[in-house]
Amino acid sequence: MTKATRGIQLEGTVVECLRNATFRVELSNGHKVLAHISGKIRKNYIKILPYDRVLVEISPYDLTRGRILFRYRT
Amino acid sequence: MFSSMGEHAVAITRVAERQWHALEDDQVVGRGHVSHRPDGRLFLSIDAWHGAVFGHLAEAMLANLPRPLYTVVDEADLDLILQWEKAGFAPRRREWEYVVPTDPRITGLGSALPPPGVTILAVGGAEVGPLRVLDQVIRDEVEATTGWQDMPAEVLPGPDGTRLLDPAKYAVAACPDQYVGLVRVVPLPRQPRIGLIAVRSEARRRGIARALLAGVLGWAHRRGIETASADVNQSNGAAIALFEGVGARRASSNLELVLR
Repeated sequence: MTKATRGIQLEGTVVECLRNATFRVELSNGHKVLAHISGKIRKNYIKILPYDRVLVEISPYDLTRGRILFRYRT
Repeated sequence: MFSSMGEHAVAITRVAERQWHALEDDQVVGRGHVSHRPDGRLFLSIDAWHGAVFGHLAEAMLANLPRPLYTVVDEADLDLILQWEKAGFAPRRREWEYVVPTDPRITGLGSALPPPGVTILAVGGAEVGPLRVLDQVIRDEVEATTGWQDMPAEVLPGPDGTRLLDPAKYAVAACPDQYVGLVRVVPLPRQPRIGLIAVRSEARRRGIARALLAGVLGWAHRRGIETASADVNQSNGAAIALFEGVGARRASSNLELVLR
């Protein structure tokens, strides 16, 4: 049985909070993605604000989409 | 559990007691997680890149979990709400997230003084003993009225009734013999979060909550912080009036859903 692999995860910086529960995040490689926040972040009422450093998982189906998995302490 | 999704097969696996994965070609394409709130309620989260994967994860998780189950979503995330509703969840309550200005020239709180005989002790200035007494009084009043299921998660008592009281996160309204009101603040560096503002019942309608808010917002303003955030239950008319009266604006709303 092969070990399951995670999606691509990259650090980035939130550059804009959009109205439809999404965020524009500039990744460490310079690319920008539209990202939702993960259910665990939502469940724990963690706020995401512009300039926050975050860990983003990129969609394997659309490399312009992502999900914020973690907000680093500033 | 295997499910066909178009050309691909998705396998749902419970990888830990509280965690499920959706696998497609050995790649994780969805995750489900369940956690206990301190009050014992079970909260679910599901992250999936496709609606079909979300549905398969929900089906597998719900088959193995007791009821009732809860989740929290951003009300602007219509796709996610639709997915939860397909799984049988229904709205239970709504919390508005307010962005609250701290500048007294905007809030008009510069002249909001406490009533005679009441002093506002700044964040970090409360003593643990009287704070613990006030906390218990307020908890008893909440328990006798709305109940704790409508209170912020971070102030919920633990399953054994224990809780930590950190004076560094509270400002209080003090009379000579006792504390009569409190506001809980999570002192996040860029945008502090106001978690709970409460005044004991016999001291209400005297402007104490407004004076507490003035104290906390002034404290933040002096540190160069322009805004704070506050989550307010949509059914809490007094709190909505308090925050909107100081120029707070609604930024978003969280919807709590339940499956009974």
